[in-house]
Amino acid sequence: MEKKQKAAPANTGLVDNVDALIAKMAQVREAQRIFATYTQEQVDKIFYEAAMAANQQRIPLAKMAVEETGMGVVEDKVIKNHYAAEYIYNKYKNEKTCGVIERDDAFGVTKIAEPIGVVAAVIPTTNPTSTAIFKTLISLKTRNGIIISPHPRAKKSTIAAAKVVLDAAVKAGAPENIIAWIDVPSLELTNEVMASADIILATGGPGMVKAAYSSGKPAVGVGAGNTPAIIDDTADIKLAVNSIIHSKTFDNGMICASEQSVIVLDKVYEAAKKEFAYRGCYFLNPEETEKVRKTIIINGALNAKIVGQKAHTIAELAGVKVPENTKILIGEVESVELEEEFAHEKLSPVLAMYRAKDFDDAVAKAERLIADGGYGHTSSLYCNPVTERAKIDRMGQAMKTCRILVNTPSSQGGIGDLYNFKLAPSLTLGCGSWGGNSVSENVGCKHLINIKTVAERRENMLWFRAPEKVYFKKGCMPVALDELGTIMGKKRAFIVTDTFLYKNGYVKPIEVKLDEMGIEHTCFFEVAPDPTLGCATKGAEAMRAFEPDVIIALGGGSAMDAGKIMWVLYEHPDVNFQDMAMDFMDIRKRIYTFPEMGKKAYFVAIPTSSGTGSEVTPFAIITDENTGVKWPLADYQLLPNMAIVDTDNMMNQPKGLTSASGIDVLTHALEAYVSVMASDYTDGFALKAMKSVMDYLPAAYEKGAADPEARQKMADAACMAGMAFANAFLGLNHSMAHKLGAFHHIPHGVANALILTNVMKYNASEVPTKMGTFPQYQYPHTLARYAEAGRFCGISGKTDEEVLEKFCAKIEELKATVGIPNSIQAWGIDEKVFLETLDEMVEQAFNDQCTGANPRYPLMSEIKELYLKSYYGK
Amino acid sequence: MELKNLISTSETVDVFKDGKMAIKLFKEGCPKTMALYEALTHSRVEATGLRVPVIHEVSVIKNRWAIHMDLIEGKTLADVMKDDPANMEKYVDQMVDIQIEIHSKSVPKLSKLKDKLIRQINLLDTVDDAVKYELLTRLDSMPKHTKLCHGNFMPENIIMNDEGVYVVDWVAARQGNASADVGRTYLLLSLKNPEMAEMYLNKFCEKTNTSKKYVQDWLPIVAAFQLTENNPAEKDLLMKWVNVVAYE
Repeated sequence: MEKKQKAAPANTGLVDNVDALIAKMAQVREAQRIFATYTQEQVDKIFYEAAMAANQQRIPLAKMAVEETGMGVVEDKVIKNHYAAEYIYNKYKNEKTCGVIERDDAFGVTKIAEPIGVVAAVIPTTNPTSTAIFKTLISLKTRNGIIISPHPRAKKSTIAAAKVVLDAAVKAGAPENIIAWIDVPSLELTNEVMASADIILATGGPGMVKAAYSSGKPAVGVGAGNTPAIIDDTADIKLAVNSIIHSKTFDNGMICASEQSVIVLDKVYEAAKKEFAYRGCYFLNPEETEKVRKTIIINGALNAKIVGQKAHTIAELAGVKVPENTKILIGEVESVELEEEFAHEKLSPVLAMYRAKDFDDAVAKAERLIADGGYGHTSSLYCNPVTERAKIDRMGQAMKTCRILVNTPSSQGGIGDLYNFKLAPSLTLGCGSWGGNSVSENVGCKHLINIKTVAERRENMLWFRAPEKVYFKKGCMPVALDELGTIMGKKRAFIVTDTFLYKNGYVKPIEVKLDEMGIEHTCFFEVAPDPTLGCATKGAEAMRAFEPDVIIALGGGSAMDAGKIMWVLYEHPDVNFQDMAMDFMDIRKRIYTFPEMGKKAYFVAIPTSSGTGSEVTPFAIITDENTGVKWPLADYQLLPNMAIVDTDNMMNQPKGLTSASGIDVLTHALEAYVSVMASDYTDGFALKAMKSVMDYLPAAYEKGAADPEARQKMADAACMAGMAFANAFLGLNHSMAHKLGAFHHIPHGVANALILTNVMKYNASEVPTKMGTFPQYQYPHTLARYAEAGRFCGISGKTDEEVLEKFCAKIEELKATVGIPNSIQAWGIDEKVFLETLDEMVEQAFNDQCTGANPRYPLMSEIKELYLKSYYGK
Repeated sequence: MELKNLISTSETVDVFKDGKMAIKLFKEGCPKTMALYEALTHSRVEATGLRVPVIHEVSVIKNRWAIHMDLIEGKTLADVMKDDPANMEKYVDQMVDIQIEIHSKSVPKLSKLKDKLIRQINLLDTVDDAVKYELLTRLDSMPKHTKLCHGNFMPENIIMNDEGVYVVDWVAARQGNASADVGRTYLLLSLKNPEMAEMYLNKFCEKTNTSKKYVQDWLPIVAAFQLTENNPAEKDLLMKWVNVVAYE
């Protein structure tokens, strides 16, 4: 309270100099500080009482405005005051403007409305009382203080209006001085008000609006209008003409949205003219037109003497005799250029009338008139709204105006809620960037509040997606395939495989089964390792010729990936690989929408090695053999419909394949387990898969077909790891391995193995340089995760560090057992070649799609260090 | 020093010819700031390289301040126009070219035209506060440039001789918006010869690719400025030019 007394010096009386203004501003600020603590109920009561008081005074204020400015019509100003009080109150009475205005607990979002502070309001001479009522009311409703800069020509009435609102507000409990004004306006004081307020509501001439925008404070200003009204040949002429007269004569044409020109289509020109004349408008003859021209505009500017005057008065000034009760002076003119005085904004009952050849001509004329001085404001069209939707659309597109009114008097229509009940009522009409404004709609309460958003931490929805059918167990393939015929009734099967498997009879059991079921089939067996786009295209062509309703991909990762790509090309021949391969941060927010798969064919994947897990993943890699570019595709549309994991297809894998793909499975499981997207759903698969690899890979490697159990465990491990990383994704280990493969032709599984434990130790840091970004990943906990995994795999230790250490040692031991060397160098990569390619590998690994899910966000320098460590086997 | 050869005279100065020199002798009672300010302003313009008379001395002659500068002999463009009205367009063209050249110069230490206009508008007693408010608001919103403006650029101040074309009378020179300077010339011409004024404005706008509206926006301001001259013959026209409004 002590502070309050300091900040608010004794009333210094009139605000007529900068010092007095500064003192007044301090009072308003202090009042606003208190007002800002008011509740919605308090504010609504004040808003109500203030609106009631303004409404009660509408007639005296209107009289005062006309008397002081010598412009306009008392009865119309009464309407404006009435509107400013009643319509604004009605619009905002139930609007929440204080404190919490919106809350969404599910999404954790709360929106809080805060006042902006002190509003500087510049009030024009044309609407000196209604604009004052409007601006003070919306300021009160939003708990802002307001200081008014009236126009010197209308200061008495503007101040009187503000005082009515202030007195009522204070009586209803608002702080004293919540509304203030400059008593003796000057440019210096206006500029000072604008510079020291928090936001400016500027209504005025271009100079004033420009000053507002130059003040350095956010400004909501309005621009010039030069409203053209088109009367189409389908319009209801009586409604059109009388609407325009009603609007143009309102307050003697001083509303900025008022029609300045009427553009009438040739076909109805005479009819419109007749109606205008019948209703009391005066058509100037050429000589009179010239006289009026020279009277209304002087050196391209509007003559102050005609603003808001009666038609008769203006005619008299021009030396033209018209009946006393003439409503509008109409000049029939041709030019829409600025050289034509009638093409200007006239702020008086003087109207230009143009004849348009057709609708196109009318639109062109209207566009030009808007460019002459009405950018962003208002335009108007009269036509048959039922049959002429196309014209309304055309108008909407062509006009650079923020309001396009249809069959509506523009003065009353533009201010909203009178002829259209979704257009917000306002006496400050935004004109968008075209008019140099920050607002393109009708200004209201929402422009006077700051909305704070309290956003609470939420976690992403996660998912678990897998093929609808995953069949497993040694010998399961014919049983699983049976469904294709007996249940699904498939007729034509297309088998995709590689030459080796084809020649060695791996396809035979499938063909036998298909024959048995009477399913026509064919086989494409030209898939080579690292399948190419050319190969996929060829396969897809064969598919188009054969028209299968089921595709069976049999093989390792290559055949299954090639099968998926052929599937895409078969279903959607026009897809663009560059688009499909675009990297994403979040697969659900990716820019590209993958085409829907499965409309033509059902996809069955049958692995013959225990490694990639492609039978259950949404991934496929294809190489463009012409450019050498690898397109890694990822989308759940690529998920096979059925996976058949039958160890019979894997019994005779060569040793090298068993070891490399086995370590690949381990890497899949480990990376999925520590991924930022890991979930309880994927954890189970990952843990079980890695344990199986640790336990059974040596036997599968040593004994091969002689140990069917080890083979079975490895086959299931590969598939489970596949499901884990199909949903939790991979990490840096794969990013780096991809580049080792690409640059040095190291088999994928081996490449993973060569860096695996180095990456694990790197990821396990409790103080990483940067951690991965994902709401589920709350703090660096990868060490604990590796330790959990290690313990599951049978490692023990007192601390997580010890478990990790032993786990890595065990993995190194496993690698040695299955014949994988302990460094990249030992694999036989030349040091010079390696170092030459290092920087490029680093950058590409950093940019690899897999990096995003890694728990530690890597710096490129760190990736480089990891490569070097792994190269030298440190 | 005896000065005999009076060339011209005005309210504040008498100009004498003295050999190859013109001596601008300020009337008694004129403050010395007037002479010194003019000499300073003029000297700054000399530095631009424009063809202007050179000041050689500022002195006091019998209690009167005097500026000694080169005497530029020749015919003024106004005389030339009068003698050869058939070629008016050519002369207006030439005049505009000279003015454009002046505007291309920058004299950073010169006073600002805008400051002078604000001062003069505030001094006006023939218009009310509301009009002043609008004029000042209009002026405040005008683009702020720093081009050399002559301030009284008229055919009378352009002298032609065998050496070339000289521009004289730089007392009103300021830095500011070229269109204000053009507006001023247009106004002064309009008061004498409206037809020529139109020709002049069109030529300027055409040559500099300036919209006419941009110059016209200055007219209420330069008209208000001219009102300070209190010339009854000009008042009606000036008041008409001043009394306009921008949209609201």
